[in-house]
Amino acid sequence: MIGPTPAQITEELRHFQARLTEGARTLRGLGPIETGVLPRDPVYQEDKLVLYRYRPRVAEPHPVPLLIVYALVNRPYMMDLQEDRSLIRGLLDAGLDVYLIDWGYPDAGDRHLSLADYILRYIGHCVHHLREHHQRDSINLAGVCQGGALSLCFTALHPEKIRNLVTMVTPVDFHTPDNVLTHLIRYVDVDLLVDTLGNLPGQLLNFTFLSLSPFRLAGQKYVDLVDILDDAQTVKNFLRMEKWIFDSPDQAGEAFRQFAKDFFQQNKLVKGDVVIDGQRVDLHNVTMPVLNVYANQDHLVPPAASRALAGCCGSRDYSELSFEGGHIGIYVSGRAQRKIPPAIAAWLLAR
Amino acid sequence: MAERTDPPDPSGFDIELLLKQARTYLAFGQQLQPLSERFHETLGQDGDWGEALRQHFDQLKAALARATDDPNGHPDLTRLWTVTLDTWRQAAASLGVSTALAPPAGANAEAWRAYQQLQGQYLDGLRQAARDALDLMEQRLSERAMAGAMVESLRELYNLWVECNEETYGRMLRSLDYAMLNGRLLNALVSCHVRGDAPT
Repeated sequence: MIGPTPAQITEELRHFQARLTEGARTLRGLGPIETGVLPRDPVYQEDKLVLYRYRPRVAEPHPVPLLIVYALVNRPYMMDLQEDRSLIRGLLDAGLDVYLIDWGYPDAGDRHLSLADYILRYIGHCVHHLREHHQRDSINLAGVCQGGALSLCFTALHPEKIRNLVTMVTPVDFHTPDNVLTHLIRYVDVDLLVDTLGNLPGQLLNFTFLSLSPFRLAGQKYVDLVDILDDAQTVKNFLRMEKWIFDSPDQAGEAFRQFAKDFFQQNKLVKGDVVIDGQRVDLHNVTMPVLNVYANQDHLVPPAASRALAGCCGSRDYSELSFEGGHIGIYVSGRAQRKIPPAIAAWLLAR
Repeated sequence: MAERTDPPDPSGFDIELLLKQARTYLAFGQQLQPLSERFHETLGQDGDWGEALRQHFDQLKAALARATDDPNGHPDLTRLWTVTLDTWRQAAASLGVSTALAPPAGANAEAWRAYQQLQGQYLDGLRQAARDALDLMEQRLSERAMAGAMVESLRELYNLWVECNEETYGRMLRSLDYAMLNGRLLNALVSCHVRGDAPT
């Protein structure tokens, strides 16, 4: 049962060490790691928010623009990580006119930003800009992860401004039994956290994500890295992901307080009890066509948490798209590149 | 346009992450070498490999206990079991709460003691999960042997060790007790935080 002899183990360790020594040199010589590869132009700015338009890749893009709303957690360049791992590229190639909100990095001056600021003011102003610029009553909206929950709130409050809604790995029911993030935040005193710290440090969020699978994410991953250290391109791919994982903006305190308490702890979104600036978010108002994209092996947003949307939104044109992969694979895996953007584009172009 | 570095600059890969885990892997290899030795000896003498396996895992559990009681004794080996605690301590340090024995200046001494106590409970939980993982690994190796399956390399043993730790740690993570401890630990950490020191 234990195949390798002591001599073979010694040899394996020696080989590992040699690769590590050689590979450390490769690592030091790699230079800066670039992310976000497609050409884009800032078209609207407000506070730290920048709205980018990606340069179309077809002569006449679809006249209804698509606005992507990413999560406040981590950075949106995950949608355009590198040449061959870019969901945005796939959407552009399919003929869509794609815009993306970059939230920037909140600092101490942003601690009082609330969900109302993010949803009604920031998303609202971006939607307004696109409606004006494209002379459209309504635009297409795609929300990613937490950005999907924010998009649902905006859409429920202003359904007339959204023509089609795409939600991607978006939690709707936060209390499904397999939701480990809800489990971990259940006994956290969110008020104490925000009242004391102001903003929530990104490093605390990082710890939470790493702590879900620490032996793989903080241990084995780096041992496996030694195997690929002689391949500069593969190492760069690894480092791009690594950069993204640790690039965790702090969370604006008040927005975090409401999201943690109302969404995670009290599950108000699915119950229709979320209140934004005095207005109740009723998902039954989401009556436009909805495409709900989820990942079957998602350990952060379990499929059931996303699929709960079917039971509470008001759309009569509701579709689901499932992906065999996890929360990250749905953005960056080769299979995702082939499946997800063409499917989203086809669904949008048909409406 | 390529986004090279956004402030704050997260692009510089911390090579120490790689080196630490590589050293830990080498320490793992050294721990497993005697098992291989004993197994091949036992095989040669037509002995009881099951007993050899049990003895070796008992020794590993003793090494685990020593390593977690005295983390400075063999830090590379200790890291095999304390990877979660290390990550937690880094997060705590980002709030200005270090692992030092004394409370940070200005911190409430009672809150500091409560935090230390909870961190001790957290470490106990991790230690138990690590012990359970060794039991599980012994069981998995035994099952493989019964089925006539061979572990082909040290890396395969390491991967099995990771898999077993993820399984037992995951069980702990999903328990109600852990959810409560996690909440109390974070609340206690925040209570130690000196207002005005917010890193944001």
